[in-house]
Amino acid sequence: MKTVKYVLFFVIAFCFTLSSQAFGGEKALLFHAGLGQRGALNEVKEIFEKKNPEIKVNFSYKGSGYFIADITRSKQGDLFMPGEEFYLMQAVERGFLTSYNPETDIPAHFVTVIITPAGNPKNIKCIEDFAKPGVRVGLGNPKSCAVGIWHQKTFEKAGIWDKVKKNATLSAKCIPELGNAAQHRAIDGSIVWGTTAVLYLRDVDIIPIEHQYRGIIRLPVGVLKFARYKEEAQQLMDYILSDEGRAIFHKHAYAINSVIPVDKDGFCLDGTTDKDMEYLVNAAKAVKDESFPVNKDTVGALIEEVERQRKTVRAGD
Amino acid sequence: MALISRGRWWPILCVGIAVTILAVYILLVASNWIYLGWHDTVYFFSKSRMWERFWLTVWTSTVSTFFSLFIGIPAGYALSRFRFPCRYAIASVIDLPIVVSPAVVGAFLFGITTRFPFDWISEYYGVYIGRNVYGVLLVQFTVTAAFCARLMKASFDIIPVRFESVSRSLGASPMRTFFKVVLPMAKNGIVASMIVVWARAAAEWEGLMLFVGATEGKTDIMPFAIYLDWNGGMMGWVTSMSIVCILMAVSAISAMRLIGGRSNVW
Repeated sequence: MKTVKYVLFFVIAFCFTLSSQAFGGEKALLFHAGLGQRGALNEVKEIFEKKNPEIKVNFSYKGSGYFIADITRSKQGDLFMPGEEFYLMQAVERGFLTSYNPETDIPAHFVTVIITPAGNPKNIKCIEDFAKPGVRVGLGNPKSCAVGIWHQKTFEKAGIWDKVKKNATLSAKCIPELGNAAQHRAIDGSIVWGTTAVLYLRDVDIIPIEHQYRGIIRLPVGVLKFARYKEEAQQLMDYILSDEGRAIFHKHAYAINSVIPVDKDGFCLDGTTDKDMEYLVNAAKAVKDESFPVNKDTVGALIEEVERQRKTVRAGD
Repeated sequence: MALISRGRWWPILCVGIAVTILAVYILLVASNWIYLGWHDTVYFFSKSRMWERFWLTVWTSTVSTFFSLFIGIPAGYALSRFRFPCRYAIASVIDLPIVVSPAVVGAFLFGITTRFPFDWISEYYGVYIGRNVYGVLLVQFTVTAAFCARLMKASFDIIPVRFESVSRSLGASPMRTFFKVVLPMAKNGIVASMIVVWARAAAEWEGLMLFVGATEGKTDIMPFAIYLDWNGGMMGWVTSMSIVCILMAVSAISAMRLIGGRSNVW
């Protein structure tokens, strides 16, 4: 019987230790953020916490589609940053956001690019090449990821949607699936965000898209109505929207120009993002070729990303 | 021919299939290890992040297994031995987590954690219940507790009731009988079930994805971290962590065999 008493005692003591640890006094923000923004946001967190030692930032990284259900059920969270404005608008419609200004609350943009496996086996150079017979195209499922909607939009604009659909060999549920497929040579080409393409520099070739088909996707951020620490959440949001915060996103291949002229469908109108595209293409070259010079002129803000991926054959950090 | 005519082909076929399965799994691990390469293996295995995640996985699943055992052993014993109202209803409910996807558990946990008294605790202490490592424990516990009771019931079922009757007839109380007679006899079964429960907790991911979400270094246990890094295109991390997961599972099972855990589960 003694053993039982001892064990019980330890369990109770353990519970107390756990609970005392759980309820520390610091202000911990809960940040609902799309998985894709992990690289940039982890960096934001690090710098922000250093600047504001009394505030801690906890992320709840998930696929962007999961959040509306989560927030509806839990009524928890301070900040919200899904991977597409569409998901944020869902929250706005339900009244979950204190305020949302589509003009100013966009810290960064995604830009669409073509990726192919390294060496570009089917020699894809432009959008029209996806319609060539025998090209295995990876498409996103428009129901589950934003890139799928853009695939349809882009190829419809080029008038080759039917042909491309016939070439499709993969219906991806999220963007990384397309990147991974290209990396493992399961497809000959696809269109993804530049921020996705930058994760596979060693294993894919990146081809910029001409202006009329180059999609610009807005990445929004907002403070939730349920925020426990509204002021601190606003502080973090302001930091993300500041030049310093935007610069962090730039390092991960987001386009951070505050104004990118687009037509009503979201396609690029001029060469605002040309320089970023050039950096991206050079970065892919630099990781594959050690002799390629890596500096501000060749790869711009992507220096750290290039160096990270040069370190290992199978990308890590 | 003589061998085959005497029907010896059957055991050979069976062993052959077993060896083939083994070969397939070894090939799976080996091909991924070759993909990773020696340079990267050294690089990733020497990273502290890898071992932080490893320990996080180990300790969370150990703690949740521990709590599951506290529920599972008495509950399993009750279901195995006693006659009480709604016994079959309870037994059926306890079978649920084996059938129902953990994603459901994750989704349903929102229901309980946003109500009294949890909303009050959350408000008073200024924490988001379920968004930290305790959320991980909660998910693991919820998924494994009933599962554990089910396995314990099976372990107790195979122990003859006679020993208990003898112990009781010699004057031992039911509690003393349980701790002195039943528990030692069920030891092997309990250890074996415990490993299964532990492995189940360590592999939990769907429930976490829905209920907790990941914060790096806090709630990203191995399976979740693999998913995160898969999304981040970090194939090196994905592959090396998968290898660690497999090694972890293999060593857990071997450890159990060394301890001598053996029951109807294994």
